[in-house]
Amino acid sequence: MIRFILRRALAAVPIGVLVTLGVFALVFAMPGDPLRELAGDKPIPAAVLAAKRAQYHLDDPFIVQYLLSMKDILTGHFGTTFAGADIADQLRLRIPVTLKLTLLANAVQWTLGLFFGIYAGFKRNGWVDRSLLLVTLVLLAVPGLVAYFAAQYLFGVELKWFPVSGVLEGFPRSYVLPALVIGVLGFAGLARLLRTSIVETVNADFVKTARAKGLGEQRVLWRHILPNALLPVVTFIGLDLAGMFGGAIITESIFNLPGLGQFMFQAIKLKEGGVVVLLSTLAFISFILINLLIDLLYGVLDPRVRNV
Amino acid sequence: MLASCGDGKSSGSGSGSGSKSEVIAIAADPLEYINPLNENGSPGIQVAMAMFAPLVTTDPETGKLQNVMADSVTPDKTSQTWTIKLKAGNTFQNGQPLTAKDYVDSWNMTAMGSNAWKNNGFFSKVDGYDALNPPTPDGATPKPTAVKTLSGLKQIDDLTFSVKLKVPFSQFGLTLQYLGLAPLPEEVRKNPDAYKRKPIGNGPFKLAADWNAGDDIKLAKWDGYKGSPVPQADEITYRFIPNADTAYNEFLAGNVDFVDVPSTKVKSFKTDAPDQWVTSISSGANYLVIPAWDPRFKNPKLRHAISEAIDRKAFADLVGLSEPAKGLVAPDMAGYRDNACKYCDFDATKAKQLLQEAGGFSGPLNINYNTTSATGQIFAEAIGNMLRQNLGLQVKYTGKQGSEITELADSHKLDGLRFSGWGHDYPSIEDYLTPMFKSNGDANFAQYSNPALDAVLAKGDAEPDPEKAIKLYQQAEDIALEDMPLIPLYTKSNAYLHSAKIEPRVSKYVGVSALWATFK
Repeated sequence: MIRFILRRALAAVPIGVLVTLGVFALVFAMPGDPLRELAGDKPIPAAVLAAKRAQYHLDDPFIVQYLLSMKDILTGHFGTTFAGADIADQLRLRIPVTLKLTLLANAVQWTLGLFFGIYAGFKRNGWVDRSLLLVTLVLLAVPGLVAYFAAQYLFGVELKWFPVSGVLEGFPRSYVLPALVIGVLGFAGLARLLRTSIVETVNADFVKTARAKGLGEQRVLWRHILPNALLPVVTFIGLDLAGMFGGAIITESIFNLPGLGQFMFQAIKLKEGGVVVLLSTLAFISFILINLLIDLLYGVLDPRVRNV
Repeated sequence: MLASCGDGKSSGSGSGSGSKSEVIAIAADPLEYINPLNENGSPGIQVAMAMFAPLVTTDPETGKLQNVMADSVTPDKTSQTWTIKLKAGNTFQNGQPLTAKDYVDSWNMTAMGSNAWKNNGFFSKVDGYDALNPPTPDGATPKPTAVKTLSGLKQIDDLTFSVKLKVPFSQFGLTLQYLGLAPLPEEVRKNPDAYKRKPIGNGPFKLAADWNAGDDIKLAKWDGYKGSPVPQADEITYRFIPNADTAYNEFLAGNVDFVDVPSTKVKSFKTDAPDQWVTSISSGANYLVIPAWDPRFKNPKLRHAISEAIDRKAFADLVGLSEPAKGLVAPDMAGYRDNACKYCDFDATKAKQLLQEAGGFSGPLNINYNTTSATGQIFAEAIGNMLRQNLGLQVKYTGKQGSEITELADSHKLDGLRFSGWGHDYPSIEDYLTPMFKSNGDANFAQYSNPALDAVLAKGDAEPDPEKAIKLYQQAEDIALEDMPLIPLYTKSNAYLHSAKIEPRVSKYVGVSALWATFK
């Protein structure tokens, strides 16, 4: 087990270098001068531009800029953004916001997904199963942007059940509405996957054997069907968790939640390579950790793929 | 947060009648610091306006200049040296008296290039600026110079100082209302970084509570302010909501008292918030930029042909809340003439004739638009269609990021037309003509240069009589319209929503202000 984790961690290093280098190159290749972007329409005197350029290493060649950014990240000297914000402070403020949103949204998504997926799987072709298919199609067709604004207008502005935006009312009130929208938009896929997986497993030989042995229906369900049916779902959840960060960019902007997604959006807008790489590194590390966790979970669910 | 917990439709009369508080939404990322000298973005300046008082300001009723911190601003005969006398008895919010030394030292700090403060450029007109901003080779870090002070800046006594400019400039008095010239007290000057989040101003409001990263800014009336007039509000909260549509929704929910109408709501705000909106003529000009470096556009007749082929009324309707442009300066400026442009009325026959006289146009005409703007492509295609139909030109479109378009244009590599705009920093038509048309002007996006125009501008700058100066600047506008490096398109109004408890100040000279709102 320890060896497996170590091997994974070691393999992550070169991938991490590739990912950060790639992301940095993408930001670097974006057209336009970052400082000009910051200044808007107003002209900046040459001396001011030169001073800012030196401060943010913008006058160095690409690879030097990348190495300096990586050095800053690895030594924990995050410095300040172009706009003058202390990056370490920003992370301290923003990580909890994104974590709260992501976890709450996932809780909604999993609860709904598991519940409807299991129910539809066992009552195949029942009305829940049929409406789930319909709901899935509808939800997949609704663009997130539209759903977020519609929910904000309906539940925030008109009905006043939830705050319109911001985190002034704290956890959980400020987070419920965005988390619900994310969860509802996302649960359908999970439910469909689980439903199909259960339907397949129900017809597998080992289930027939279990039934033939005379095991009770409950035991067949919880001990024989679910653990096997959950395998693909666990993979899906892992990928989905990792993808949440990308989704946070839109949600946090619309609901004005000052989390990492908003930070990423600002950084991309201003072409702040250092910040983008820092956030990508964070996302990458959490991706690796989540996947490691998922792999260990497999072993718990299915002894055949246990990594000892 | 008194105003934000209203449960009624629009926080009507408010609870206590004693305290007048308002919440102003700012559709931008939260500020990282408040220092007017290092700030040229509108969110930062907006907050600074509440906390710092300028030397002079424009009277919202008459449009005339009035003194605030200054007791008098006097030019010499040539308008080259200006003597500024301060009113006695004003202090900073830390209790220190406001003196001429505070201005002189704060301005010197800003003028020092190695400090990289954003309003550094303002001082380029002052004698001695170049010594503090020596040219820096590419890639080098500017170092503090041996000279620390502008030779043109002299303290005369405790309340008087003088500014000597490089060349005569009759409009200098007007420029003094810019908030980027606010004074910083000595303790802040010693260590500006330590005061990033606890600014000490000299204006009507001070921070009401500690202000941490990402927080809203809460201000309370400062009793020590002796300037006049004084805003009515007792408490102001600036709430930062980066997404403008979200800020608009917060207003509709009754959580903020004042919000800008975002471009996406221009068609719907009057029904969304009936009786709760105001508009003002925007001080700005929007136009098409002709690439001066492209020989195909050299003939002024061709430029006039393009201008005549544009149906400005239809285009302004498309933009929304806009009026067709009739000249190169904003309509709220003294010296604006609504018949300045002879080539701005839509006339397809005349346009075709002009095009013929110019010898036609070879190749497709490219129109560049900004892909980060929601409306960029729509506007480009509208102009393109007019040129195609009315001039028979072949038109193509290129979408790029705004900063990339600027960069390409700066290096003369941009192909074809692009959109741009300019708004003044101080209310004078000079602040349109100099930046936009003077050779190497700050906002001379067409990179246009005409010695005759430069000469008229210099004459206007040296003319102490305001009426005569305006006449000279109008001559410059006429030259620019004949050469037409920029094709005027429209002037846009701004719209704002306000809650029932406040009435924002609306002035035809200085626009709409929530800071100066009247409480009902």
